[in-house]
Amino acid sequence: MIGRFRQLLGSLRPEFYHRTSEHLNPYFTFTDYRKIWGVGIFLLAVTALLPLMVVTVIYYQLIQKSVDSELILRTERVASNARRAVTFFLEERLNALRFTVNEIDYGRLTNPDDFAELLRNLKLGFGGLTDLSVISHAGIQVAYAGPFHLEGKDYSKQAWFAECQNCNFYVSEIFRGYRDLPHIIIAVKSFRPDGTHFILRATLETERLIQTLSSYKTGEHADIFLASRSGIMQTPSKFYGDLFEKMALPVPDYSPRTQTVMAADGQGRPIITGYAFISTQIADTPFILMVTKQKAGMMGVWLELRSKINWLVGFSIMVIIIVIAITCTFMVNKLYLADKAKAEAMAVMEQNNQLASIGQLAAGVAHEINNPLALINETAGYVKDLFVIKEQYSKDDELLENIDYILEAVARCGTITRQLLGFSRKFDVKIQRVNLNEVISDVLVFHNKEAEYRNVNVFVDISKDIPEIETDRGKLQQVLLNLVSNAFQAVDNGCNLDITALPEGVNKVSITICDNGCGMPEENLSKIFEPFFTTKERGKGTGLGLTITYGLVKKLHGNISVKSRENEGTEFIITLPIHLQEEMRKDENSFGR
Amino acid sequence: MKILLVDDEKKFAMMLSKRLALRGIEVDYVFTAEEAMAKVESNKYDVAILDVKMPGIGGIELEPKLKALVPGMKTIFLTGHGSAADFTAGSAEAAYYLAKPLQIDELIEILHEVTQ
Repeated sequence: MIGRFRQLLGSLRPEFYHRTSEHLNPYFTFTDYRKIWGVGIFLLAVTALLPLMVVTVIYYQLIQKSVDSELILRTERVASNARRAVTFFLEERLNALRFTVNEIDYGRLTNPDDFAELLRNLKLGFGGLTDLSVISHAGIQVAYAGPFHLEGKDYSKQAWFAECQNCNFYVSEIFRGYRDLPHIIIAVKSFRPDGTHFILRATLETERLIQTLSSYKTGEHADIFLASRSGIMQTPSKFYGDLFEKMALPVPDYSPRTQTVMAADGQGRPIITGYAFISTQIADTPFILMVTKQKAGMMGVWLELRSKINWLVGFSIMVIIIVIAITCTFMVNKLYLADKAKAEAMAVMEQNNQLASIGQLAAGVAHEINNPLALINETAGYVKDLFVIKEQYSKDDELLENIDYILEAVARCGTITRQLLGFSRKFDVKIQRVNLNEVISDVLVFHNKEAEYRNVNVFVDISKDIPEIETDRGKLQQVLLNLVSNAFQAVDNGCNLDITALPEGVNKVSITICDNGCGMPEENLSKIFEPFFTTKERGKGTGLGLTITYGLVKKLHGNISVKSRENEGTEFIITLPIHLQEEMRKDENSFGR
Repeated sequence: MKILLVDDEKKFAMMLSKRLALRGIEVDYVFTAEEAMAKVESNKYDVAILDVKMPGIGGIELEPKLKALVPGMKTIFLTGHGSAADFTAGSAEAAYYLAKPLQIDELIEILHEVTQ
């Protein structure tokens, strides 16, 4: 399964990834296509994605800021409104008491009936009052109107009494007191005509206050409550403690104005807290109004939208990367293929140039050698003539034999120089119409005996679609003879030799000569067309056979290529034009231009 | 049979003429085209063996001049430029070309052929 997956992956890999053409490396413009591919993808991805990501981050920050400032504004507005309401609540009642002590004299205040009447009227006017009491300057409660019986109670030792005496007004924290019910007391100091003073005290129910606060509560993530300056909860809260418990938030720093801060609560949740120290125009109070909003809850809509945007951005990034990867792969592969084609052409050109220059050099050398060679030949020949014709030394077989060695060597040198010259010279091609079948049969005639003797199986398969071709019969014969001779030398007895010819396109034919002989190592493949390259024993081969074959094929406007594997066999493929005359005319025209 | 051998390679010309002489063929040898033209004026030759490449006038250029002087004289060319077959195209027709180094028997055969 894994193997198959790897196979599939391998087939999907672009050509440049396989690095199959290492041998062309010196001709490639670029060497590391994988690196080009990687760098290309990286650069394109960065160029495409960076702006998208930067814009997204900036957008997020702007939205975050705007949501934050909107939240702060809303919290502050609620805190401010609630502050006004609480302040008004307390101020209204303090003013009522102040009005009462200013309007009604001490005598009436201490008259139980009048006092009860007063309480009734105040309850009617303002509501939320539980009782009223008058306390003498000595701290003794001299009059009381309300549901309890507290006449004669001594407050002289209590802190509020002392503070009210000092400040003329007093607003207490919310506490349980004797009644064991949460309440606030407010008190106003007043002077009697005799110079002594008394205090009018009222007890306020907290329900009204709590109701007032509740009306400002906005949403399930918001909380609003009163705390004392020492951090004790004065009204119940949803998140930060019950009545009289220690507040689960730090006591804020004093500020005469409504303030808003962003912080985390005790459980680490980010919250926005609006607070105000409640202070009436008449008296300071111990209350701090707290309004909190949990950011997470308030930002739910934005967070949901952000998650959608994140998905969209993520998906876009993926699509962009895939498109970039596909485009890059395609482009780099095209580049690689173009470069490979160029490198192949360069390699062929270099080989041609090499062959041409070596050929020229060889021809020059051959020509220079030929004349002294001719002299050696004639001189040795003359010496032999003297022996044979004049019969002076005809009995000396050894001398004759030695002379023959010289003549044989000269003959061999002569063959080489002739071949070299034949390879390099530009001689004309004699074009005639040639039947491939006939040419191949003619060539094989030379090897019939050897094939029989060595039991080599020769298969000839000439496609019937091949017409007669225009070419130089002699040269084609020489080409085929060279290749077939080579093949015979390469195969062992009992091996096969296949000669096939097929049309290639409309204007060409290809002739393949394939043997299953010894083959050759890869390093030799690139050299076999070079002059003097031979793997045969010293003296057995000139190393010019395939060079000449190559030159001849080129003269016939054809191509020759070779494939070989050691111990498996060799395959030579020759492609030739069907209409050589036309090809040559085209060539002349292009040179003419 | 009388032969005129023209080749600028002096030793070669000398040796070849000696070998031909050993085979009963009368040979005069000269080293330049000018000498050859002077030679044919005073002698009658059946065959001229001309080196293709010589300083000044080469064999191919010399051939028509000699033929003008001695109509009917046969010509064999010698070349140091590879095989005769490679050389036949684009030059005088029905001429014989032999590549150096020579096979003496081949030369004799051709000589007999042209003089028949």
